[in-house]
Amino acid sequence: MSSIEALYIFDEHNTPLLEQTYTGRPPSGSTLLPLYLAHPTPRPSLIYLPNTNPPTLLYSIIQDQLLLLCPSSNDTEPLQILEFLHRVTDALEDFLGGPLLASRIEAHYDVVAQLLGEMVDGGVVSCTEPNALKDVVDAPNFMKSLLGGVGLPSTTPSSLTPSNAPFSLGNRPSPRLGPSGGAPAPTASPVPWRRANVRHTSNEMYVDIVETLHVTLSPSGRPLAAIANGMIAFTAKISGVPDLLLQLGCPGGIANAVSLPTFHPCVRLNRWKDRPGELSFVPPDGRFTLAGYEVDLLGSAALDAFSTTTPANAAPKLNIPATVSVQTSLGPAGSDFEVRLTLNPRFKGKSSSPLPSTTSFSGRGGLGKGLGSGAFGGSSAAGTTAAPAMDGMVIHIPLPAGVKSVVELKASRGAGEAVFQPADSRVRWAINNREIAALMANDRGTGAGVLATLRGSVVGHDEHDGHDGPDASLGLSSNTYDYDDDQTAGYQAAAASSRKEDGNGGGNGNGELKKKNKVFMPSCATVSFTVKGWLPSGVKVESLNVDQKKSKGLGAGVQPYKGVKYLCVSRKGVETRC
Amino acid sequence: MHPSNFAHWSLSTARDLTLEAARDAANARGKTSTKMLPSGQLKKLLDSRSERDVLEGLRRVVTMSYRQPPSQTLPFFTHVIKNIASPSLQVKKLVYIYLLQHAEHEPDTALLSINTIQRSLTDQNPQLRALALRVMSGIRVPVISQIVSLGIKRGVGDMSPYVRKAAALAIPKCYQLDPNTEPQLLDYLSTLLGDKQFFVAGAAVAAFLEMCPNRLDLIHPHYRSLVRKLADMDEWGQLATLRLMVKYGRKCFPRRTRKIKKPLDMNSGAKHKGTKGFYEEESDSEESEEPEYEEIAVLDPDLELLLNACKLLLQSRNSAVVIAVARTYLYLGTPTYMSLAIGPLISLLRTAGDIQHVALYNIVQVCLLYPQSFVNHYTHFLVRSTDPPHIWRLKLELLTLIFPHAAPRLQSLVLAELSHFSHSGSLDPGLVKEAVRAIGRCSQTTDPKTSARCLRLLLTHIGSADAHLVAESLEVIRHLIQRDPDNHRTTVVRLAKHLDAATSPQARASIIWLVGEFAGLDPDNNIAADVLRILVKGFADEAEPAKLQIVLLAAKVYVHHLNANPPPEPAKPVEQPQPRSSLLDDFHEEGGFRDEPKSEAAPQPAPQEREKPHPIVALWDYILLLTRYDTSYDIRDRARVYKALLATPTSTQLANLLLLAPKPVPQTPSPSETRKGYVLGSASLVIGDEGGVGGLRGYEDVPAWVKEGQEPDPALRDEVRSTSTPSYDAGGVKTLSAAEKLDAAAGAAPSAAGWDGMGTSGSAWAGGKDNGVHGASAPKKEEKSLDQWLEESGEEETDSEEEETDEEEESSEYETESEEGSDEGDRLVK
Repeated sequence: MSSIEALYIFDEHNTPLLEQTYTGRPPSGSTLLPLYLAHPTPRPSLIYLPNTNPPTLLYSIIQDQLLLLCPSSNDTEPLQILEFLHRVTDALEDFLGGPLLASRIEAHYDVVAQLLGEMVDGGVVSCTEPNALKDVVDAPNFMKSLLGGVGLPSTTPSSLTPSNAPFSLGNRPSPRLGPSGGAPAPTASPVPWRRANVRHTSNEMYVDIVETLHVTLSPSGRPLAAIANGMIAFTAKISGVPDLLLQLGCPGGIANAVSLPTFHPCVRLNRWKDRPGELSFVPPDGRFTLAGYEVDLLGSAALDAFSTTTPANAAPKLNIPATVSVQTSLGPAGSDFEVRLTLNPRFKGKSSSPLPSTTSFSGRGGLGKGLGSGAFGGSSAAGTTAAPAMDGMVIHIPLPAGVKSVVELKASRGAGEAVFQPADSRVRWAINNREIAALMANDRGTGAGVLATLRGSVVGHDEHDGHDGPDASLGLSSNTYDYDDDQTAGYQAAAASSRKEDGNGGGNGNGELKKKNKVFMPSCATVSFTVKGWLPSGVKVESLNVDQKKSKGLGAGVQPYKGVKYLCVSRKGVETRC
Repeated sequence: MHPSNFAHWSLSTARDLTLEAARDAANARGKTSTKMLPSGQLKKLLDSRSERDVLEGLRRVVTMSYRQPPSQTLPFFTHVIKNIASPSLQVKKLVYIYLLQHAEHEPDTALLSINTIQRSLTDQNPQLRALALRVMSGIRVPVISQIVSLGIKRGVGDMSPYVRKAAALAIPKCYQLDPNTEPQLLDYLSTLLGDKQFFVAGAAVAAFLEMCPNRLDLIHPHYRSLVRKLADMDEWGQLATLRLMVKYGRKCFPRRTRKIKKPLDMNSGAKHKGTKGFYEEESDSEESEEPEYEEIAVLDPDLELLLNACKLLLQSRNSAVVIAVARTYLYLGTPTYMSLAIGPLISLLRTAGDIQHVALYNIVQVCLLYPQSFVNHYTHFLVRSTDPPHIWRLKLELLTLIFPHAAPRLQSLVLAELSHFSHSGSLDPGLVKEAVRAIGRCSQTTDPKTSARCLRLLLTHIGSADAHLVAESLEVIRHLIQRDPDNHRTTVVRLAKHLDAATSPQARASIIWLVGEFAGLDPDNNIAADVLRILVKGFADEAEPAKLQIVLLAAKVYVHHLNANPPPEPAKPVEQPQPRSSLLDDFHEEGGFRDEPKSEAAPQPAPQEREKPHPIVALWDYILLLTRYDTSYDIRDRARVYKALLATPTSTQLANLLLLAPKPVPQTPSPSETRKGYVLGSASLVIGDEGGVGGLRGYEDVPAWVKEGQEPDPALRDEVRSTSTPSYDAGGVKTLSAAEKLDAAAGAAPSAAGWDGMGTSGSAWAGGKDNGVHGASAPKKEEKSLDQWLEESGEEETDSEEEETDEEEESSEYETESEEGSDEGDRLVK
């Protein structure tokens, strides 16, 4: 019944990096890899291999181009193993620094070996908390010096050197217990997710709220679904055992906006239940995901608005930085398509007026409306809540596989650069920040939004190519009888095709051509961008306080530095159909 | 284009990546130049007196062991093992790693190290003790099983929970090494199951599941404490516990239902009133849980305790835990509980693609049972262009599952969605197919309006230029019609009308087949003959598949004609072919058919009776004539077969059998129906029947509900707090260790007041902690949650006390050591 039998890691060229066997006699990595690769892409995360001995369930994840495989000969909970694999990559990243690179693992096999040994004991997952692992495994030296620079303790906890005091009892769970308690965890702190003896020279804490947009727009522009997936990343660099209280606010009430939250185990669930929006927790040391949530931007009444009788403008209002609309089957032959990008002028940012790169604040209640970000972002001037800025605008237009090329790709007013990528069979239209700014500057007054258009014309594979496709065997691929004749009777082909060309001039032939070209039309377009300093849900941090009474080890009167950053991301998240 | 590829999109831009890569590549190159040390030099490093050198050597050996086969690193075995006694923890750890990897190859040499490891079991550093225990149990050399067992025994009584956890995890390893140690191990295990520390209990449950998942009798005394600890365990402990609890719940709490709701009796006295039910029956009652039906499931209070404890886990960040809770609710709880888990299940769709995939399978599984609950979450099931096939396939299935339960508006939205993908799915032919099939499944709803709408939608596809779409649409239409032919007469007519629009030969062929199939439905008012008439006109221009079907249609129409108008006398119909054959360019004279003599024999009685044959007969003959000169031999052959079959109008039995055989009604259930039997959260659910019917190896179905009266006495669970059960007692005595004695001694004084009946020191240890703290507090006092720990420790300043406890700890440690020393002596004597 052991769940984790072995772990194999391969680099981007599929050369084995690491093989760790935990229990049993699983097939070796060299046996499994070809079988894994033999599976057609995209490969699911769980593949059943009946031909190995014993028949194996192969779990896989790919992280930073590294491939992690985990065989299992028994029926276990798949998510348990997949979660474990993710924790492995998290831990490796935590210790070796991200992104996870093959060379990093190769340079620190000793650390990796210790980590893997601690994480699984005899096939049973035993410990995956990064902080708890830090208590028992030394981070590699270069990381130590690196972390020392940012304020992490440069010395390891004393418990790691046996010559020192054998127990680091700084944080006994309940000091009153005395030895009769039987419970003290000498190396581990009372909080399983927090390292013992955390010391920082400068105390800092940062909240990053990242919301990922998932918006689907119908061809008419009406939103079908609009979900923002939020993640609160927290970075705590605070000495002792701090007890923090983070208050989130949102226009209209946090309880109405935020749904389906998930929390790091450190969050006191009852507190959230009693007072939504308040997160009370003892954080782990370092960066971690505090919570995840989801916001339905349309609201629950969205469905009622979706009906054929309601005019399009009565559709729920959606405040999205950028949307696209696609028109297909344009032009005389119906082979053209047009993509219109609409930018919300609100998000132009203020690149002209440089703000201080970081806005610092301290003390209670210091977090408010005008508080900036940039503490993480570095030098960017724009991207504060006052002037949210759009970045990295890319529009993808996936095209059917039959499209050979796209000609006459032209973006209006030189906005951005569009290319057809045959390998992925899509058009990629990227608009850089300067061009966005220029567009925004042009349309200052209208208020209707900023427009940019891209026009292109698809060229499908010619007919004979089409017949080589997999569907040819079905005899289904031909569209007309003439066409079929082309195939069966070769000598007639010339005549038939000329007939067809003649027909193009007439209305009938045109319609047929349009119909044929319709197959090559894009069916959707997606927009990717990031906006700093703005969240679609309107969630914001009201306050972040250290509970001085409950906290320990943080000197009296020490006010940690606090920073908040908001980021809205769309990774092909805004999708318009056509 | 896997979503996980984008996971770190924003965090690490491509430029960062390349920079990092370049730097690291430089680093790695620098290292590799020094990495290739000759083995002699490496041995020298390992033998060195300097700790730093040894460490360096070990690092290299460990690195080698990952990159090269064991044969390369085995020569260093003795050199490495020599360092096992090193005082440096760093060195020790690396030696242990090496040992675990290589012990099997050199069992004899590995045994030499056992003594040193054993000594480490009494080290002052709990981390080292735990490590030693882990390594000792991990060396796969069966000879040492007894030693390992003793090590576990010591670990079970250790003061550090870290060591106790290692002991718990060592138990299944020891069992694998030597199954004869089972009795002792069970004792240790039952002690650990009652451990106060959350993560120790979690590990103990995991060990329990590994070693003896069926010994539920060990669980009874700890059931309640385990349930209470559930929320504070680490996620892996929660997983193990929930897996255990589903089994335990099914085997220990008989399902009861009640007619009228009565106040719950806390004790089992009133339990015989209800009727017992297995899950299947219970699900029936669940469905009918409307106000008018009073039958509701009555939950045992202990079971309710578990179900309520699970609520907190629904917000776990670990997707496996969420699924495990859903499984608990599904198989143990009531629909009310299940509805709590729906939202959290949906929230799993936020996660990385690989997890999302598995989560979707589980969502579908729940949705098959409770489609109603998922209707409001429809936005999550809309397919996105970035979804890979294995994701959208499941999403489409979910959309169709909720379709019958959705409001009309949502139904139109779903249909619009599906038709979008069926039109634009030229991106992926598979998506087209799946979308069209989904429309077909949607049309199976009871509402005839919706059904008609779906059908209309499908019919619009027939004229499309997308061959996949047309073929699949017709396939689905055919299924729909075949399933309910009587209601689809008009559909056939409509389909026939679409013959004008349909261009693809395959599509035409399908339509013609359908028309032929229903040619006999309504004899007086059937279009088949008319369709045939029209088709025959353009026969020469049809493609071969369509031609084949036209011939078949003609044959069917003719058979129906013969059946409907049987020749008045046996001889009569036989003459029919005769005149018509003469009418049609006397093709009988060709004489190429085997059946010629037969028809020849027939016309004798009255050859010239009818001048003009029935139009159908004429059509049939015309078709036969046309096909006779077709270029395709296949068509010619078939026509010949049909002709032979139908040559004698009086005997159409064989033709009826061949041409009008009833076709089996195609079944198109939801694709996941086949997996319905598999347990939520199992790998078999994801793999399906591919893994063999009945699940993969190690698959375990949820046990059936225990029958009323056969369940274990609930008192077993009750009584553990006041008086230990005998078995537990025995375990307690046996596993008594120095540390426990110490605990007992320390706890004895304060506990004396409030604690009676705790005769054995083993159980005193179990309860001692609480008593030590709270003096005369009742034995019922629960374990404190983490929050309580924190709050209490926060109430007072701890610095001075820390030192105090530090000293105490140390002194106790010495005692332990001396105790253990004597223990070791014992063993040596043995």
